[in-house]
Amino acid sequence: MNTERHIASAFDRDLEGVQALVVKMGGLVEAALSDAAMALEMRDEALAERVRAQDTAIDALEAQVNDECLRLIATRAPAATDLRVVLTVMKIAASLERCGDYAKNLAKRSLVLNKMHSVEGATGSIRRMARQVGLLLKDALDAFIHRDVELAASVRQQDRDVDQMYTALFREFLTHMMEDPRNISACMHLHFIAKNIERVGDHATTIAEQVIFLATGQLPSEPRPKADSVNMGEV
Amino acid sequence: MSVIEMKLEREVTADTIKIEARKVQVHYGQNHALKDVDVDILAKTVTAFIGPSGCGKSTFLRCLNRMNDTVASAKVTGSILLDGADIYDPRVDPVQLRAKVGMVFQKPNPFPKSIYDNVAYGPKIHGLTRSKAELDEVVESCLRKAALWNEVKDRLQSPGTGLSGGQQQRLCIARAIATSPEVLLMDEPCSALDPIATAQVEELIDELRSQFSVVIVTHSMQQAARVSQRTAFFHLGNLVEYGETGTIFTNPKDPRTESYITGRIG
Ligand SMILES: Nc1ncnc2c1ncn2[C@@H]1O[C@H](COP(=O)(O)OP(=O)(O)OP(=O)(O)O)[C@@H](O)[C@H]1O
Ligand SMILES: [Mg+2]
Repeated sequence: MNTERHIASAFDRDLEGVQALVVKMGGLVEAALSDAAMALEMRDEALAERVRAQDTAIDALEAQVNDECLRLIATRAPAATDLRVVLTVMKIAASLERCGDYAKNLAKRSLVLNKMHSVEGATGSIRRMARQVGLLLKDALDAFIHRDVELAASVRQQDRDVDQMYTALFREFLTHMMEDPRNISACMHLHFIAKNIERVGDHATTIAEQVIFLATGQLPSEPRPKADSVNMGEV
Repeated sequence: MSVIEMKLEREVTADTIKIEARKVQVHYGQNHALKDVDVDILAKTVTAFIGPSGCGKSTFLRCLNRMNDTVASAKVTGSILLDGADIYDPRVDPVQLRAKVGMVFQKPNPFPKSIYDNVAYGPKIHGLTRSKAELDEVVESCLRKAALWNEVKDRLQSPGTGLSGGQQQRLCIARAIATSPEVLLMDEPCSALDPIATAQVEELIDELRSQFSVVIVTHSMQQAARVSQRTAFFHLGNLVEYGETGTIFTNPKDPRTESYITGRIG
């Protein structure tokens, strides 16, 4: 990593500014995810509504990141690490925007689920999974802030745990549905929620890979470990 | 992941070495201006030399056609082969060499002659044309390629020194290509040109590379990135890094290269 300053100090300020926006976005997304999971478990409709409303702030930040990056490319013609910062920031912002949407979707479904009778233990498991993924996202963003390739690599490894949590939940919901068909509706919603949280984990992995690209100039070459394949034969 | 094989434009069409420089050193009296430069200039390729002012770009460029012979204090050592033959061999006639390895200087230096004669001079003395009509044709096509024709076609007999700085520079480009050199050395050819003329000269450079090697010294990172397929970064008389242009500008290996191309204090 090049820690020297640019001769044009405004260039440094522009680059730092756009990275600060992404970090801010990350904070909002982490909060949205944990709040949405909390709202689901606690049947807290007001909190769910707040998460839905907050998503526009995340979207606006992504638009701002893109605008700033366009300006940077047009006016500063960034090269080497600077260019990678710009590209990485745009990709991370796109990932975070998707994660924000998943959190919003979770909040929406929690409002629907509140009108149904609860599926035993499910919302607690969802919240644990959301917490795990939230930590992954936080690590990925910390790795970005500190250009920490090792931390980024560990995010890629840990995503496997999330995949396993998803597979376990999938089986749990299947069991509930087979036990009592009145659970089907709620379990379908819960399953989408679990799948979306698993997707957030994938985005955390994408962000971690971008960090590796940013720091080294190359995307990681070895494929990341996979454990998310729900065995369709067993279903 | 399967990658579809594509022929990218930045690829060089030949990997034939046109100029092979080894352990080139230049001293100007006590000043050790160039230190052990090794580089292979490829045929049919545009090579950009970049680096901070005073790092030795012009000095090295001048070695490639023995222009340093004319600098009394300059001492050049090492070897430079053009198509495998040593250009510093005593049997080589520097004037013949410079017809093959043409040059456009950092400062425009038209002859104190008419615009027409500036371009016609080289083909005339090297006997490259057989008739006045043929010579006229060469002059026109070179002035067109240098993006100057429209501005001077009605005053070909007026003195070249009466043109504006940017026009003089384009006249020198026309003069340099008039002998159809195999290698064209250009020392900041666009520093005095407006963006349109710059784009036209860059287009010319791209055209020339289908047949020739072009080596261009430029202080514009964007220009180096746009026109060249190979880039060499010089720093304090050393060739620090030499490689494929895209790689140099996206992922340079040496921190000094990175500092320079990203505009940091090196
Ligand atoms: N004719 C000369 N006589 C003595 N010293 C010279 C001569 N030409 C160049 N030098 C010295 O050699 C070094 C390299 O100069 P050179 O002109 O090659 O730099 P450059 O990279 O082309 O710089 P610029 O980008 O400013 O044109 C400098 O220290 C310069 O002072
Ligand atoms: Mg120079």
